[in-house]
Amino acid sequence: MTYLDIQSLQVDFLQQNKSHNVLNDVNLQLPQGKIGVIIGPSGCGKSTLLNVLANLNQEYRGRVSINGQLPLEHIGTALILQDYGLLPWKNVWNNIQLGLEIRKIAKEETKTRIEAILKKMGIADLKKRYPAQLSGGQKQRVAIARSLVLEPELLLMDEPFSSLDALNREEMQDILMQIWQETNLTILLITHSIEEAVFLGQKIFVMSACPGTIIKTFDNQIAGDYSSRGKVEFLDMCNTLRSYLRKES
Amino acid sequence: MQISRIGWKTVQFSLAIIFIFLSWWVLALLLDTPAFPPPLPAFASFFHSLQGDLLLHLRISLYRVLASLILAATLAIPAGLFLGKNPRLDQYIAPVIYLTYPIPKVVFLPVLLILLGIGDLSKVVLIALIVFYQILVTTRDASRNLQTEYILSIKSLGANSKELYQHVYLPGCLPAILTSLRLGLGTAMAVLFLTETYATSTGIGYFIMYSWSSLAYDKMFAGIIAMGLMGFFLYILIDGCERYFCSWLNP
Repeated sequence: MTYLDIQSLQVDFLQQNKSHNVLNDVNLQLPQGKIGVIIGPSGCGKSTLLNVLANLNQEYRGRVSINGQLPLEHIGTALILQDYGLLPWKNVWNNIQLGLEIRKIAKEETKTRIEAILKKMGIADLKKRYPAQLSGGQKQRVAIARSLVLEPELLLMDEPFSSLDALNREEMQDILMQIWQETNLTILLITHSIEEAVFLGQKIFVMSACPGTIIKTFDNQIAGDYSSRGKVEFLDMCNTLRSYLRKES
Repeated sequence: MQISRIGWKTVQFSLAIIFIFLSWWVLALLLDTPAFPPPLPAFASFFHSLQGDLLLHLRISLYRVLASLILAATLAIPAGLFLGKNPRLDQYIAPVIYLTYPIPKVVFLPVLLILLGIGDLSKVVLIALIVFYQILVTTRDASRNLQTEYILSIKSLGANSKELYQHVYLPGCLPAILTSLRLGLGTAMAVLFLTETYATSTGIGYFIMYSWSSLAYDKMFAGIIAMGLMGFFLYILIDGCERYFCSWLNP
């Protein structure tokens, strides 16, 4: 059984009493412990797909299974939104604590887990700061910390690095790779960046324009190889992806 | 030399006070009437009246205005948050609010006097009714306009409805709620004065109007100063709440 198994997924939105088909016949399989990247034109329903997996949208047709469970039953899913989703009125510590509080984790364990994740993400000095006092990269670290502190099995990321500058972006990609190597998480990530998809995605899913469906799946052998950035096979893979995306847009 | 933030604020406030007192003094000189005394005699009369019955009236007025604000906030804040969170229900309630909001509720004073008697209750209910709308509409709009990403991110952590109110809706709308309370306070003080001029023998409003009708202008001004100071200290109280509960706005 594949860890993440989506078959014939269809999502419709009701807008002004008219039904709009956002996702149509989406089929996607991702084995446990792999990094999958979804790439596709704007408005093709990528975020809708993540919302279904994160149980934020229960109105769908088709079969969605995470480790044999429905999204509703699967508590080991964490979602990181495009704009980080940090609450401006809570400081870094309280933002990270929120998920543990909601899941009723004991106080002592909460403290231990937060201290460990703050250290791991290199943000221990920022624990009393509010999101408005953080840079984009720091906010992203806090958002990742808030998800990882819950010790999830499946990490969903919606364009997590899109608002970072090039250097911060590469640094965060490296950090994500490092986390994945240490934890063996299953990660499904949405991106607009072809280079990011090629560097991170062991499986790359190309989506069509709206109504979105998966038109091509690539098995990417060079994912996670730091030395491959800029090499011929890396650029070849980028070009292949680019040509698929051009056709779609 | 760099002046500290608190030091600079003190200078600003001192300048404002000097400006107000100077304008008052000049106006009193120009008008030259016992009905508008200069600041010094007015404050002398205020401190003198505090020894008498002014303090009792002040206490009663403070109770009425605080009770009204608390009653209005207790009803309007949860209702506003709920309506903002549930737009489907709000589409039925919004027209009712829209139609009843512009009615000057103060015209119900006689009705409330008949229904609730001439005691504190009718005054408190009238002020609360007026302030209720201001807090309700502001809170509902703030709650409706909260960024979806905050709600989604908390929902994805597994939050239930109670936790959504606790962690997102209430703290996220608090700055708007406190602003509406600040605006509501001004309205409440104005309506308080009006309610205290009818069918009562207590409260600052009564004290001012009684002094006016007995031509005791110095006492009348003592009452005006008392009402002004009461409004000022309540304003500072709300300001303090904002600084304490919304420290994230100016970290």
